[in-house]
Amino acid sequence: MTQTQQTQTRVLTCIQCGKCTGSCPEAGRTPFNIRMLMRKKQFQSVVEESIPWYCTSCGACTLRCPRDVKPSEVIIEMRSALVENGAIPVAIQKALENTFVQKNPWGRSRAKRGAWFEKLDIEVLHVSETESKRLLFTCCIQAYDPRCMVIPQNVAKILNKGGIEFGVLGEEEACCGNEIRRIGEVGLFDELKEENKTNFEEYGIQEIIALSPHCMNALKKEYGDLGIKIVHYTEVLAAMIKEGSIIPKGSFNKKVIYHDPCFLGKQNGIFDEPRSILNTIEGLEPLEFSRSRDNSMCCEGGGGRMFFEVEATYQRNAEVRVKEAVDKGAEVIATSCPFCVMTLEDPATEKGIAVKELSEILMEVL
Amino acid sequence: MSYALVVAEVRRGVFEERNLDAIGLCALMEKDISLLVTDNNNEMNQNPPSSPFGKEGLGGFSGEKLVNTIIKVKIEEALFLNPLNMVGVVKTMMDSKGKPDVIVFTHSSSGTELASYVAGYFDLPLITDVNGFDKERDVFFKSYYSDKIFGEFRKAAQGPFVITVRSGSFKEYAVEKTTPPVIETIEDFPIAEGRNFMEYVEEEKAEIDITKAEFLLSVGRGIGNKDEIPDYEKLADLLKATLSGSRPVIDKMWLPKARQVGTSGKTVKPKVYLAMGISGAFQHIAGMKDSDCIIAVNKDPEAPIFQYAHFGIIADIHKVRDKLLEVLKG
Amino acid sequence: MNLIVFTKRVPATQEEELRITGEGKAVDLSKVPFKVNDWDNYSVEEAVRIVEKTGGAVTAVSIGDAESDEVLRRAIAMGAKDGFLIETGDVLHDPGARATLIQNFLKKESVPFDAIFTGVQSEDDQFGAVGGILAAKLGLPFVSMVISIDAFESDHVIARRELEGGLQERVKVILPCVISIQTGINEPRYVSIMGVRKASKVERKVFKAADYQENMVSKIEAVKWVYPPKKGGATILSGELEGACKELLGILKEKGVYQ
Ligand SMILES: Cc1cc2nc3c(=O)[nH]c(=O)nc-3n(C[C@H](O)[C@H](O)[C@H](O)COP(=O)(O)OP(=O)(O)OC[C@H]3O[C@@H](n4cnc5c(N)ncnc54)[C@H](O)[C@@H]3O)c2cc1C
Ligand SMILES: Cc1cc2nc3c(=O)[nH]c(=O)nc-3n(C[C@H](O)[C@H](O)[C@H](O)COP(=O)(O)OP(=O)(O)OC[C@H]3O[C@@H](n4cnc5c(N)ncnc54)[C@H](O)[C@@H]3O)c2cc1C
Ligand code: SF4
Ligand code: SF4
Repeated sequence: MTQTQQTQTRVLTCIQCGKCTGSCPEAGRTPFNIRMLMRKKQFQSVVEESIPWYCTSCGACTLRCPRDVKPSEVIIEMRSALVENGAIPVAIQKALENTFVQKNPWGRSRAKRGAWFEKLDIEVLHVSETESKRLLFTCCIQAYDPRCMVIPQNVAKILNKGGIEFGVLGEEEACCGNEIRRIGEVGLFDELKEENKTNFEEYGIQEIIALSPHCMNALKKEYGDLGIKIVHYTEVLAAMIKEGSIIPKGSFNKKVIYHDPCFLGKQNGIFDEPRSILNTIEGLEPLEFSRSRDNSMCCEGGGGRMFFEVEATYQRNAEVRVKEAVDKGAEVIATSCPFCVMTLEDPATEKGIAVKELSEILMEVL
Repeated sequence: MSYALVVAEVRRGVFEERNLDAIGLCALMEKDISLLVTDNNNEMNQNPPSSPFGKEGLGGFSGEKLVNTIIKVKIEEALFLNPLNMVGVVKTMMDSKGKPDVIVFTHSSSGTELASYVAGYFDLPLITDVNGFDKERDVFFKSYYSDKIFGEFRKAAQGPFVITVRSGSFKEYAVEKTTPPVIETIEDFPIAEGRNFMEYVEEEKAEIDITKAEFLLSVGRGIGNKDEIPDYEKLADLLKATLSGSRPVIDKMWLPKARQVGTSGKTVKPKVYLAMGISGAFQHIAGMKDSDCIIAVNKDPEAPIFQYAHFGIIADIHKVRDKLLEVLKG
Repeated sequence: MNLIVFTKRVPATQEEELRITGEGKAVDLSKVPFKVNDWDNYSVEEAVRIVEKTGGAVTAVSIGDAESDEVLRRAIAMGAKDGFLIETGDVLHDPGARATLIQNFLKKESVPFDAIFTGVQSEDDQFGAVGGILAAKLGLPFVSMVISIDAFESDHVIARRELEGGLQERVKVILPCVISIQTGINEPRYVSIMGVRKASKVERKVFKAADYQENMVSKIEAVKWVYPPKKGGATILSGELEGACKELLGILKEKGVYQ
């Protein structure tokens, strides 16, 4: 059975219970109704071209569906058809063409992918020069956006401090392809995957510490069996704190509310490590959103939505999220995904509350 | 006689300022300059200006004196700026006057069109988009890779050659001659059938597409509130700029979504991008960094936008706006 | 309609810091990724859209090394019927030499066409000249900076040219002719990797540039490559507000966006 046939078979088992729509961050306030799309797919009726681009790939529907229809995967196939037709929004097209040429959706120079470690006061080795063959894998936005560049810098410093050896690929690293696959560009995803895999093999990589939940997800679940241990950096840091190889000495006297990134939390079950890191920090008063952990509300940064905004004007989830944080009395919103940082920061600026990536808080207390 | 021929661009009766750069280069090359221009008093022209330098002249000086000879061509401007006719004009002129050392056009939409056709027709060397000239070494500078590298070029064949000149490059070298220009006229030359002017079309306001605008006035969160928008619209109108904005401005619905510049909006590449009250976030920069000229106005000297800007004003944007309105109206 | 479209593979240098090597002899492009010339992307799309309406076929032609096959596959994926590669390892700086090569090729291979499409310019050389020189050499009408093709009839084209300051000019051009396309004329379709893979199955013909070099002499000499004068960050217009504003207006005038 081809993949398309498999999908159609799954779709036919949908009982229209609506649990997907019930958990979908786009439901209700946009024209996007995932249950209805599954119905249309059952009857193979026409779906308006703009509709599939609303999905943020948060994965909630797939998690909730009682029939294992995997609606979020069905969306990817719908997008694939549009991609093969060439009829896709210009902003998405730009991101894909950029990724094809420069191996990152922002179209920044591949030669500058390693810019983040050039000015660090610690030495960062190429992974081939390390003994452990432990690779620190950066997300494209962390490699190029000055706002997010601090994340790899912080993590590198913390690992170094705790005596964990690691290396990087620099300009040889290509986009992980997580978003590219979700946009539906299967061919391009395969190319990125093959390119990265070739490097992993050539340098005998044993372990990968992914700095973004999105990269971790792709490497772990969508690269096939690599025989490589793949973790998110919060897992490593949580363990280091537990072992005592790094000790948060300072205090952080603030009320901090933690936002679960979809690709870390609900899609990969990493809820406790980030929290355990926050909990060890003195003075830090942890708060929880009413919707947290696997029920966390998506910030709408996934599935290509970092590059493309849907036409409808409605309140962003990030705004709802920030509002709740303020209502709960939080002073800082903490998260562990660069996309969440970006989406939350804009409304947070308006409301006068700070957004910090976990590594930023940790750096302040180490 | 050795001379340089400057083909002037007169559009809708206005002598384009960029012609001065073509004249300036010839002056720098120390050539006797002949200016080929449509006859303004030709009854076929719709808007005959009072002087060959436009309705109002140029900044108060008598431009006629910048050249040695003015060759008036008895032809309607739209026919003159047609490459198929231009080769006929140039041929007629060369037959009577001899070949020039160099034929210089502006590097504009029509200038490049005319220059390449003339070069191809007469089989002459061509160097376009020239923005510098080293007299001693006899080399011309030409931009490569969006101005990242300059190529030094020299003609490698005998006889005349063709050049297009980047606007703003040589204007200051255009100086007045002591004697008034000799006026010559050309009238008998073939008119081609292959291409015909139909009409001028003004870009319609309704179909405004910020990706096609040459000049964007872009406003950011720094404008503060919606009530300020009309004054920025007024400024854009006076400057003949198109108004665009950063995402927060669109989010608040101060401007429509189609006006958003950035990764999740539109990628723009205007000749001038004037950013007012925009900090220069990565997502915004990605959408405008390839503009030819970026001018930023921001009260914060540390705003990242200044790293990408060519020119900057560190000031309150409203004050800059009001002053510009005042200067433009006054 | 039979349309020939020229498409070029160019280095994507926008993001790169370029290095000059050999004391001005060359520009190091070894680490720079390559892509299709932006203008040619629009021009292929426009040609394909026209034949979709009028019938006929688009033939994409590229001059360059074997790698240029990439842009031909891309053009085929977009809807071109054939791809011709005129293979040469030489960089032809002189647009006149390039036009002569094309002229010889079209004549020798007697490629039939109703119109030839080129981009206005290529991103790397920025000469903006091949279309015009070629048209003049072939004795054909020429129209450049085309931002819209309003009609494509059996014997003529009605096109809109982009002039400065939002002004456009509508012209009627008799076929056969040469048309140079400006970016923004359309929204080129996305070409997926799978699409390009499928297009690879269509055979592309390879011709040797050496066979078409009659009269092909470079009339200009590339003496040397140099760095432009360094502009370190933004020039701040300081001093009194009125002065700064007037300076700003001066810059706008210089850039030709404000009279
Ligand atoms: C997509 C879809 C479309 C449908 N469209 C239609 C339609 O158009 N028209 C129509 O008539 N039907 C329709 N149905 C079917 C209809 O919804 C169900 O048949 C109806 O809801 C009864 O369900 P059920 O008997 O399966 O009850 P269940 O699903 O078993 O139970 C429903 C509820 O009844 C209560 N209950 C059940 N058994 C007991 C018990 N022993 N003791 C105490 N409480 C109990 C419980 O509270 C339970 O939650 C549709 C169903 C689906 C999935
Ligand atoms: C998925 C995603 C997509 C995005 N896409 C885009 C996009 O397409 N386009 C985009 O623009 N952004 C986008 N953003 C948002 C982006 O990250 C920034 O938040 C945004 O660009 C900031 O806009 P700004 O510069 O107008 O506002 P700010 O960053 O708040 O900057 C305002 C500036 O105005 C200055 N200022 C304030 N008052 C005055 C005054 N009186 N006089 C002079 N200066 C003053 C301040 O110094 C400051 O530099 C996106 C974000 C995300 C997460
Ligand atoms: S992945 Fe998330 S956004 Fe997409 S359909 Fe499912 S629940 Fe909705
Ligand atoms: S949750 Fe699953 S079964 Fe229920 S409507 Fe959605 S796709 Fe269908």
